[in-house]
Amino acid sequence: MNLPFERREGRADLPGLTRRDVLALTATGAVAAATASAPFRVLAAGPEGQLTWGIHVSLAPTWFDPAETPGIITPFMVLYALHDGMVKPMPGQPLAPSLAESFSASEDGLSYEFALRGGAKFHNGDPVTAEDVKFSFERYRGTSHDLMKNRIAEVETPDPQHIRFKLKAPWPDFLTFYATATGAGWIVPKKYVEQVGADGFKKAPIGAGPYKFVSFTPGVELVLEAFDQYWRKTPSVKRLVFKSIPEETTRLAALQRGEVDIVYSIRGELAEELQRTPGLTLKPVLSLAPFWIYFADQWDTKSPWYDERVRRAASFALDRQAMNDAITLGYSKITGSIIPYSFDFFWQPPMPTYDPAKAKELLAEAGHLDGFDGGEFYCDSSYSNVAEAVLDNLQAVGIRLKLRPLERAAFVEAYSNKKLKHLILGGSGAFGNAATRLEAFVVKGGAYVYGSYPDIDALYQQQAAELDHKKRAAILDNMQQILAERMVYAPIWQLGFINGAGPRVGESGFGLIQDFAYTGPFEDITLKAG
Amino acid sequence: MKQYIARRVGYCLLSLFLLSVTIFFFVRVTGDPATLLVEPGASEADIAAIHHQFGLDKPLWVQYGIFIASLAHGDLGKSFYYRTPVMELYLSRLPNSLYLAAVAMAFSLIIGIPSGVLASVRVGHFWDSAGKMFTLLGLSLPSFWVGLVLILVFSVYLGWLPSSGAGTPLHLIMPAFALGWYFAAAHMRLTRSSMLEVLGSEYVKLARLKGLPQSLVIAKHAFKNALIPVLTLAGINLIIMVQVSIVVEVVFAWPGIGRLLYEGITFRDFPVVQGVVLVGGAMIVIVNLLIDILYAVIDPRIRLGV
Amino acid sequence: MAIQTEIIGLPPRSRSHLAALRLGDFPLIPVLILGTIALVAIFANVLAPHNPEIGSLTARFKPPFWQTGGSTKYLLGTDQLGRDVLSRLIFGARISMVVGITAVLFAGVLGTTLGIISGYLGRGIDQVIMRLTDTWLALPALTFAIFLAAIVGPSMWNIVLILGITYWTRYARVIRGEVLSLKEREFVRLAIVAGCSKWTIMYRHILPNVINTAIVLGTLELGVVIIAEASLSFLGIGVPPPQPAWGLMLSDGKQSLMVGRWWLSVLPGCCIMLMVLSANILGDWLRVKLDPQLRQL
Repeated sequence: MNLPFERREGRADLPGLTRRDVLALTATGAVAAATASAPFRVLAAGPEGQLTWGIHVSLAPTWFDPAETPGIITPFMVLYALHDGMVKPMPGQPLAPSLAESFSASEDGLSYEFALRGGAKFHNGDPVTAEDVKFSFERYRGTSHDLMKNRIAEVETPDPQHIRFKLKAPWPDFLTFYATATGAGWIVPKKYVEQVGADGFKKAPIGAGPYKFVSFTPGVELVLEAFDQYWRKTPSVKRLVFKSIPEETTRLAALQRGEVDIVYSIRGELAEELQRTPGLTLKPVLSLAPFWIYFADQWDTKSPWYDERVRRAASFALDRQAMNDAITLGYSKITGSIIPYSFDFFWQPPMPTYDPAKAKELLAEAGHLDGFDGGEFYCDSSYSNVAEAVLDNLQAVGIRLKLRPLERAAFVEAYSNKKLKHLILGGSGAFGNAATRLEAFVVKGGAYVYGSYPDIDALYQQQAAELDHKKRAAILDNMQQILAERMVYAPIWQLGFINGAGPRVGESGFGLIQDFAYTGPFEDITLKAG
Repeated sequence: MKQYIARRVGYCLLSLFLLSVTIFFFVRVTGDPATLLVEPGASEADIAAIHHQFGLDKPLWVQYGIFIASLAHGDLGKSFYYRTPVMELYLSRLPNSLYLAAVAMAFSLIIGIPSGVLASVRVGHFWDSAGKMFTLLGLSLPSFWVGLVLILVFSVYLGWLPSSGAGTPLHLIMPAFALGWYFAAAHMRLTRSSMLEVLGSEYVKLARLKGLPQSLVIAKHAFKNALIPVLTLAGINLIIMVQVSIVVEVVFAWPGIGRLLYEGITFRDFPVVQGVVLVGGAMIVIVNLLIDILYAVIDPRIRLGV
Repeated sequence: MAIQTEIIGLPPRSRSHLAALRLGDFPLIPVLILGTIALVAIFANVLAPHNPEIGSLTARFKPPFWQTGGSTKYLLGTDQLGRDVLSRLIFGARISMVVGITAVLFAGVLGTTLGIISGYLGRGIDQVIMRLTDTWLALPALTFAIFLAAIVGPSMWNIVLILGITYWTRYARVIRGEVLSLKEREFVRLAIVAGCSKWTIMYRHILPNVINTAIVLGTLELGVVIIAEASLSFLGIGVPPPQPAWGLMLSDGKQSLMVGRWWLSVLPGCCIMLMVLSANILGDWLRVKLDPQLRQL
């Protein structure tokens, strides 16, 4: 605080100081003790026909536009409400026909045909036509868009109800990218977008989804209203409100007070508290994001991490189950792979075990009888708690590290610009399949690859050209096996994402769509009667 | 007089210019917003496209030129994250911050001024000490902690007040208190020394000699005169409060400027950060300028040269 | 913009009034508190019963010994990783002291030097430095700290650097004000006449006379700096874990507060409060003792 001027004081303090101090201390302590022992009441309030979400991030208008999806899951928390796609993951079906009534691929794999559902409408009443589908595809400029553009030769619209994608060469991953990994298959109205422009569209988006846009106050809240002409069914909740409450403790407080009905992302002790509060339900979802330790300088012959035994020792030192129980209440799934369980071409490696004795043995073998200085350990500061637990475990077998939590932006940049060293706590929620994950994180030239092994690189090139699914799978399995044997990464778990629902919620929408961390489909969400 | 004002205005502009340059370059050193707006593992082309979209691929001095040129039109650029004009974002949140700061200032004066007065008058008494302790306590506790405890007690445990967000006057009470308590000490100190000065003045001594009762002396003569510097300080602190409210706004999810700035930094949203800092800086500089001019009007010695 | 002159119309403080204020009161308790904290900081290795950075997940969340579930092994309980709270508080004293004092020294040296130069040399340099402080002030302190943290990354010494750079301006302004009035004093004029160089005068004559003010400011800024460190930890960019800085403990403990595990949050909070409160009271008292003639601070 800068004061332009401040006058001199007369007196100093008084003998009565002791009493005041103790008084203050006691007051604080009393308050804390009182709150500690009191049970929390859950107030059930909230307007009729409306459900309110307390979300953990600030909503960005780019998420209202499927043309700009960044390939991670967060925008889909809104996309599923506002928009609809040709084919999208739904309960029980990873590739459920939605706006498309049916689809098929040609024998030679060079063309894919979609038949639009009759009667599908946009929020402004206009029907969804093939022109809109073509338009949506061509305007897509989010992640992987040049990948898609390069492989598609042409988009044909033989009639208003049919679209045909013609590929330049057979691409078995086309549907994965079109339907799940990108927003290219989510349809926006061509006439409207051309009328208002991209920026105007983000201010007042119109889509074909179960809810229409009412209002958005940046950083504060988003309001949506049910679209009763949605083809699948009329949503039962009339109004949805999404409020941004980035501070976790405040978010939980809001849920407890009934100010919001559903919250995303509650971790650690707060999750325990949620569990204990009557009226509130814990809604854990297994996310698509594996977390791992990356040994960034294992290719440096001078580094202690060069020795494979040392890396394996680090993996043995981790008590993953205890960490899981402590940090994510046991809802994370321990894994030995950096590839999510549900990905195509996933190969199951041997499960990692907790064996500190063996870890010390390996270290001794490698010449580090008394442990060693492992260098620096970088992590995204929002996951410091995981990193600290890992640090602790490694310390216990003698590996000393200095923790360097970085703010998210700084971390992501430093990670991808290869500025980090020694150990990195990383993770990824990106879509794709085993091949795409390996490409980004293992193979030479990948964004997060600090070094590579020539045999793995060679195998990758091989599978990229392989058309036969079985043969391709075999090569990818082989790659993952080498990865595991060589302990290039020490994976920890696939993150359990813990959410919460209040007493007014009937069907919350959590866990209906596989691998989806948020609520969906929105038209299936209900309020409890009464 | 005119010369004095002209000089002062000149300095203001210089400060603002320096500020704009500082913030412009500072913000660009903190990182690349593109990496945050795309998926981990995006291609070079994706990132380059974003750079182009935001004009980040142009040489630095060109970017600065564009920045200053738009500034002249009152255009602070468009937020990378929200894709809306920064000015719009700022203006929509400013009332919230001012509202919060005003009530916080009220709390701070309600706590600070009486403690200060008591401290200067009832020397050696219980209430002097209690008031002073309470006020200083506000300076000794981090405001995020105060905020969280308040939420815990009044929102969750007692259920009296809403926990976060804005909307009703009830939403305002806790964040304003958490913010205002911190500033109370400065106001208390100033009130107290100001009162002591005035109480020791000839004017007051005369009033006492005349036989006026103590309380009257204090209330009518000492207090009003003592209050002037305090209110001046309060005016400046109001603007500072708007800036310092980051932590409180984050805890209470208060939709104000502080949170806008914090999110801007987190997302490396250059236009937002530049805009908020520049406008905030301009406000402080202008308020200071007005005060300087006011004092120059009151005291001719000042304007004739220090 | 500092108000650079005295406010007219208010005469000097009345002597008799002052006498009634019992200037001799030494703030014993605050000094004792600060002294204890300093001693604890120095002898942390001897005093702490456990290693503050290593814990075991099986001993998580033990309450203080007087509550059910607590034990005398962990007098003040354990945290989310099973680390002993008492040991962390003890070592935290060291970190708070080091960070606080070093940051204050850094800011103080920087600010005082610039204040003296600015005040004494006047003219161009003065203007430049004053404009600089204006700019710095317009940039909200915490924001500035966040920026710097984003650039240099977190570590204890970086935090010291960040806090030092953020808070030097107050020193500069106040010291400058002092220097402006000192400049006119007899002994300075004599020195000039005697032919002393500018730098000699600044160093040997001006500096000793402003040291008092700097010390007072320093004591008051200590509190500000420590609170700032806590706020930085809350925002995720403070002293990095697993170091047991009190501010970090406070921030980490916020979840626990909600869950009823009050000791993880209240205890570091009390420590911070005691230290800052003591520093503030001491600073207020020093202001009276060391600078009776001071009109602006």
